Amino acid sequence: MAHRWGMAIDLDRCMGCEACVAACHAENNLPVSDPAQAAKGRAVHWIRVDRYYEGEFPEIRVKYMPVLCQQCDEAPCEPVCPVYATYHNPEGLNVQVYNRCVGTRYCGNNCPYSVRFFNWFEPKWTAPLELQHNPDVAIRPGGVMEKCTFCVQRIERVKLDAKAENRPVADGEVQPACVQSCPAEAMVFGDLNDPESKVSRLASSGRATRLLEELGAKPKVFYLQRGK
Amino acid sequence: MRYIWLIGLCATAALAEQPILFPHNKHMALGLECLDCHSTADTRAAAGMPSVRKCMLCHEKLATDRPGVKQVRDYAARKLEIPWIRVYGFSPSALVKFRHAPHYRANIDCTTCHGEVAKATVAEATVTHNMGTCLSCHRQKKATEDCVACHY
Repeated sequence: MAHRWGMAIDLDRCMGCEACVAACHAENNLPVSDPAQAAKGRAVHWIRVDRYYEGEFPEIRVKYMPVLCQQCDEAPCEPVCPVYATYHNPEGLNVQVYNRCVGTRYCGNNCPYSVRFFNWFEPKWTAPLELQHNPDVAIRPGGVMEKCTFCVQRIERVKLDAKAENRPVADGEVQPACVQSCPAEAMVFGDLNDPESKVSRLASSGRATRLLEELGAKPKVFYLQRGK
Repeated sequence: MRYIWLIGLCATAALAEQPILFPHNKHMALGLECLDCHSTADTRAAAGMPSVRKCMLCHEKLATDRPGVKQVRDYAARKLEIPWIRVYGFSPSALVKFRHAPHYRANIDCTTCHGEVAKATVAEATVTHNMGTCLSCHRQKKATEDCVACHY
């Protein structure tokens, strides 16, 4: 049976340390924006940590929510692409093909989660940061959209390793950079088609909610929090 | 655009001039296999180029009087690697992640993509590598045609 990759994020465990953000930048060759570009909303973060404040100082409570591409089953970004640069692959990933992208930015405008980013310029790194590029991930050229891939390079590698050893992919074997780096182990990644996988069990638990579920995009990222 | 063309021209000119005119045919005639030197083609993404030390495993003793071998021994004496010039490979703008290992495991013969290198004197790119050649083979073998299998 084909995989259907999904993620569960335990918001009661997340403390907003942003290790996932740093790990994502390192793994996926994301350029570091300067303050001027960031002020124009051009900073690229495939995963960000949203903050919500509850109460008034000093009785204040901050809630953190890591937001990445939700890999929607009914992705609003897909039907608006005129060149099929973004499509749904057989494993449920919402894929961005950089070679096809002509930069209309329709997908980014149609994304309710604001997790798609446009490369306004050729990406630049201050020396010697360019030496730490991950060779498994493309350097996206200027003029194309990009977004979280669920670390598809790691998925591909694990699948090929498993095939070479003639065994199925084990639960928890694929770890995107954000999941791997989370010190609180708040993030869990796995196969939603496997009812025994950890992510499936968390997704079907009573604590699971999905972001902006009323839009009907059917995201595959599940947020866990205690009921109100 | 003009500069890209110029760089391309320089690259083509450079391709003709390998540091040592390595004769694949002579080594293959002696009974060596591709994997003896390109030793990670069956397990890793890159097939790998042999180090000078590997050349010297044989050429410490064998055929030491030939001019090409003398060049190899010279590199080894200076503890330098031979700066081979790449013959095959995708341009960075193609955004392709090719892995040798799964192709090897699927029993694709090296000659399918690399032509008759075994009979060549100096390695040359004789087979065109583009998406058409990749996809036609993938279709025939019923391998994946998912874009993200190669482009990411």
